[in-house]
Amino acid sequence: MNAIAQDEAAVVIVGSGAGGGTMAFELTKAGIPCVLLEAGKHFSIDDWVNDEWEAFGQMAWLDARTTSGSWRVATDFSGLPAWLVKAVGGTTTHWAGATPRFLDYEFKARSTYGDVEGATLLDWPITLEDMAPYYDAAEKAIGSTHVHGRPPLAANNNYKVFANGAERVGYTKYATGPYGTNAEPYDGRPGSIHDGFNFQGDKNGSKWSTLVREVPRAVDTGLCDLRPESHVVKITHDASGKVNAVIYVDKDGNLQRQAAKAVCVAGNSIETARLLLLSDSSMFPNGLANSSDQVGRNYMRHLTGSMYAWFDKPVNMHRGETMAGIIKDEVTHNPDRGFVGGYYMETLALGPAFLAAFIEPGAWGPEFANWMDHYNKMAGMWIVGEDMPQATNRVTLSSTTDQWGLPVANVHFDDHPNDIAMREYAYEKAEALYNAVGAVGTHRTPPYPSTHNLGTCRMSANPEDGVVDKWGRAHDVPNLFVSDGSVMTTGAAANPTLTIVAHAIRQAEYLASELKAGNI
Amino acid sequence: MGVSRRFVLQGSAAATALATTMPSFARAGTINVADDPEMKARLMRMVKVAFPHGQFPDSCYERNCDAIMGAASGNPGQITMFMQGMHDLKDAGFDDMDDAAALAHLQSIEGTPFFQLMRGTTVLTLYNDHEVWEILGYEGASFDQGGYINRGFNDLDWLPDPRITEL
Repeated sequence: MNAIAQDEAAVVIVGSGAGGGTMAFELTKAGIPCVLLEAGKHFSIDDWVNDEWEAFGQMAWLDARTTSGSWRVATDFSGLPAWLVKAVGGTTTHWAGATPRFLDYEFKARSTYGDVEGATLLDWPITLEDMAPYYDAAEKAIGSTHVHGRPPLAANNNYKVFANGAERVGYTKYATGPYGTNAEPYDGRPGSIHDGFNFQGDKNGSKWSTLVREVPRAVDTGLCDLRPESHVVKITHDASGKVNAVIYVDKDGNLQRQAAKAVCVAGNSIETARLLLLSDSSMFPNGLANSSDQVGRNYMRHLTGSMYAWFDKPVNMHRGETMAGIIKDEVTHNPDRGFVGGYYMETLALGPAFLAAFIEPGAWGPEFANWMDHYNKMAGMWIVGEDMPQATNRVTLSSTTDQWGLPVANVHFDDHPNDIAMREYAYEKAEALYNAVGAVGTHRTPPYPSTHNLGTCRMSANPEDGVVDKWGRAHDVPNLFVSDGSVMTTGAAANPTLTIVAHAIRQAEYLASELKAGNI
Repeated sequence: MGVSRRFVLQGSAAATALATTMPSFARAGTINVADDPEMKARLMRMVKVAFPHGQFPDSCYERNCDAIMGAASGNPGQITMFMQGMHDLKDAGFDDMDDAAALAHLQSIEGTPFFQLMRGTTVLTLYNDHEVWEILGYEGASFDQGGYINRGFNDLDWLPDPRITEL
């Protein structure tokens, strides 16, 4: 019965990534029919290609966006503020796979860090204790290594350098995970063959994504009407202020209307905020669910930075899982380091094509050539830490329009002094780590276009401080939910996918109970 | 060049659609840079000075120069910009400069659209060349060969094998 009539008021989910794909599976599993609208195409894992640029052209969200602010991305990649995927499965199809949980203090950032000038810190309206059972469920869904009986991934070459360096500088909390790719067969999917491609989609199907798990299982219930190439441009509401439909552009460029009894928006933080801003009306003149003026604000992208180091012996970082290495020692709140919050160090490998584009955007000359000449002797890591929410770091509607004539998202970002202090500290620690195992050279690589996009519809206890409540339900609109990383009150240090999935499982349980109780 | 890669090609809005002909300022009539060995040689030198890899054969650089000329030939505005840039190099005596002087000269024109077209195209093309990959030791696509699980994903032997779980 997968087809749902367009005039039947269904639960409508916008986006099929970590949040939306999980919502679709959890709700249909609970017997609730859903329409799942995805802007991108429906590829299979057989369509993915082991080639960095070709895969980027196939998968990346390349619709126009604009940038502003002092962040370097606005100079080097002005049309590409974020590196996300436009396809069924969303950005889970290209995520690397690290699955750390947020820590207890990270849900209480305002209380723990105090008043940080220029930052709009808040405590989450939920705690780690509230989230713990959903973290368990999310880790089992993803099949995270190292937890719930799942074995660890083997050490690859990049990890050997990373872990030995960690040991020599005195770190103790290092491991090859938790990581969202099977080390051995699990849940109907095979173990990793260490093929070295993650950001390009995993052709082997060992990596978890909603493309290979939640979306097909939702469709198999018979209750999920999946519509790829359906780009939502507006959410409409009735006279009482409840949402009643979404308007989307189909693959032929025609506008379609789908009636809705509830809408769950999961377009990733940039498109989710943009869609709410595009959904203004006389009742909601500043955009839907935006009486607080918080929609689009407090955009976070994690600290990030990379360190590449080269040696006089081969490493071959390109072989094996991209991010199967994590150091947790710096994830702590210790203001003696000169900043609040903490950061992870995680292995990262790029091929020569991406390394040339990203190691130092704009660079050329003999020094650049020398870096590239050391490609097979190079090791790499990513630094991912908590960045400060700021009211002026913000997604707004641009004067530029997209292929449908609608204003695109402008992403404005300035680093907070805390972000800069943490990044500098982390670079020094990363250099020390690689020098401890004999690096002959190192390079500090600036942040890439953002892969972790958070906070533009943040969760708050007080409706004046945020967009959604502790369930991810809009303060202003009782049948509108935000189901992706936009809801994050603060960003913590951890890669966000696990928390997005855990939050969606929790939200789906709540929404299902509200629907069954007749409250929506 | 694919549509997608233009997103990371900054400073060269010039690099758009591919065309097949390149006019030269050197002579009258319909002109084609492919017929101008002097200009091709100058562009080769420019790329080799800007991206010096002693172990790359000329074939890698030649394919890259073809890509630059393709990227430069989208419309008359781009073509004339590119041709003027090449002309200015010649006037500056670039052909007779030693490598150090040639590098210093390129640094002096680094901010020009002409230079950025060369730089941006090279970053995206030279390091996406499979012959270059082989020289750098990158083995590329692996799924069709069973991944790297039996092809050296863990063959690093100059450090001890570390533990893989937390203590």
